[in-house]
Amino acid sequence: MSAISIEADAFAPATAADLRVARRIMWTYISTGLAIFFLMMLLGIAMRAEQAGWVTFDPGWFYALLSLHGVGMITAMAIAGLGTLWYLVRRETPLDPRIAYLAYGFFVAGALCVIIAVFPGKFGSLWTMLYPLPFVGTYWPSWATGVWLVGNALVMTGFMVWCAQILGALIARFGGILGMLGIGYVFNIRGYEEAHREPPSPQMFAAAITAIDGIIGSTFGLAAGIGMLVHWIDPSVAIDPLWAKNLIYQFGHTFANLTMYMAVAGVYVGLPLCTKREYHTSKPLAIAWWGTLLFVIIAYFHHLYMDFAQAETVQFIGEIASYLAAIPVVVVTVFSGAMLVHRSGMRWSLGSMFLYAGMIGWVVGGTAAVLDATIPINLDLHNTLWVPGHFHTYLLQGVLLFTMGWVFVTLEQRSATITSLAMRWLIGGTIFGGAAMFLLSFYIAGANGVPRRYAVEPAPGPELATVATIGALILLAGIIIAAIEALRLARLPKAQEAAA
Amino acid sequence: MSGLLVLELFLAIASAAVIVMLAVALYGSNRPAPQSEVSAKGYAIRRYWFWTILIVAAIGFAISIPRFPYGSAQTIGKHYTIVAQQYSFAAPPTIPADRPVVFDVTSRDVNHGFAIYDPDGKLVAQVQAMPDYINHLPFTFHTRGHYTVRCLEYCGIAHAAMQGGFDVR
Repeated sequence: MSAISIEADAFAPATAADLRVARRIMWTYISTGLAIFFLMMLLGIAMRAEQAGWVTFDPGWFYALLSLHGVGMITAMAIAGLGTLWYLVRRETPLDPRIAYLAYGFFVAGALCVIIAVFPGKFGSLWTMLYPLPFVGTYWPSWATGVWLVGNALVMTGFMVWCAQILGALIARFGGILGMLGIGYVFNIRGYEEAHREPPSPQMFAAAITAIDGIIGSTFGLAAGIGMLVHWIDPSVAIDPLWAKNLIYQFGHTFANLTMYMAVAGVYVGLPLCTKREYHTSKPLAIAWWGTLLFVIIAYFHHLYMDFAQAETVQFIGEIASYLAAIPVVVVTVFSGAMLVHRSGMRWSLGSMFLYAGMIGWVVGGTAAVLDATIPINLDLHNTLWVPGHFHTYLLQGVLLFTMGWVFVTLEQRSATITSLAMRWLIGGTIFGGAAMFLLSFYIAGANGVPRRYAVEPAPGPELATVATIGALILLAGIIIAAIEALRLARLPKAQEAAA
Repeated sequence: MSGLLVLELFLAIASAAVIVMLAVALYGSNRPAPQSEVSAKGYAIRRYWFWTILIVAAIGFAISIPRFPYGSAQTIGKHYTIVAQQYSFAAPPTIPADRPVVFDVTSRDVNHGFAIYDPDGKLVAQVQAMPDYINHLPFTFHTRGHYTVRCLEYCGIAHAAMQGGFDVR
């Protein structure tokens, strides 16, 4: 680590041309992410409709679609979040656009491999691909396993490329890792003030933690993936199933969890634009992000509570880390976001509404997660539909709303226009009402012990899947209407140079 | 804690969170105040909020520790071997009621779940069935009748149909 410098900043701000390029990269990432998200949502509805008995397809296809849905959704939200973060980092420090396109190329190549593994490969080992499942008793050809593994490795490589670029740029920008993480600022606030030096902005913390934890998580994921690729080439090379499980869940949990921390950058920048207030870095914010840096990478142990062979110590760590991970969220980020909005006189545009609702969704989804991360409760809920209930809340009512909020805030700022009241009610009503039906059905089914990942569910699964499918269709309608409204705003003439 | 009790707790906390967040956003929204004024009050409240959350988390953790399913499983009760494989369970036909037993659970092929549902269909205990490992699940049955076993870890095309069972007498 380099020494902390508190000299005044001397970097050159981005030019208008730089920002045009950065915005193009951001929109490329966001539109790709949201397009994939939309397609994955259609697959999700098809699967819930199948569980409800509305349509019938064979279990092999159900699990193949579920595999694609799981990997696709997380990758989609990650791509959108990484695009937003790349743009926000570029506003503050130089970045080579070619690296962003290189990472994007890896994502696209990885996504194509994953799609080929499913269509026509019918690969159905799910995103977890718990060793030795992709190789034992399979109903898909061996080549599909190889293509799936290569596809996942390409996505992880793309993520690593993105993380490496951002990490390098932030270290250079803030004079070392200590400066980047605000450690220098927290322990020497007076020195920063005297030198008229600003600490990293909140969105830079989001970028830094995504980059560090992303590299750690991808390393775990690649270790598992490469190990399985070696086994695929030479089956005599065996892997320890418990080690494989740890590696997979470390990566999977970190990657999925980070999508929220990527998207929250949109809140840090978007809410101040809506409220005309400042979301500035403070000591608690910096310390909260240090906690997040640690808890994101060790909370994954809660995925292995039911593996009693796992060392008991790490089960303790899993519960403690899962609890502590909630503190930075509810005490700092969400609390400060609510404080920003309180008595600000903010207009409830679609952008501000989605950003604020996303914070509520984050708290609600996080509550379900913390309860399930309590070991005695996990005994009753592990691998029931409670689990998808939690992460669908997290993704649909947290990450997606943050992403949509950021998109709408940007479009509203650009056109100096907000959506009509009737349209806001229509979009809000369909998205929140549909999501409530869709999500509650998961929680109720999970509390009744209905297993997740069942092509055919025991009672009361099918009845609740019917409610979920209706809710998902309403939600889908809301998202389509919102997308049309976003396109309308995007086509309006630019009112001024985009403030965002 | 049963699943339905957890659901009630979750709905109570989630509803409170939604109401509080909406109240914070909407209360006084027609009387804008300077950010410094709101921040001063907010930071004071946050200090209490931080300690409240930390204490609740500490209490939750302390309450949960005695209920952890790990520990002395290898020494108490009669042991029953459970072997899972795609797509069935090899399990004893009967288990005694009101006596502690330990299930020694493993798998012959891939990862499975060994989840026990009571005669009313309520999930009462579970553990993973892993190849190369044995997981010891301690449990005492107090209700007599037929218990259903389901696989709760995705294991292949017939995962949803992988079931077994035993009688508790």
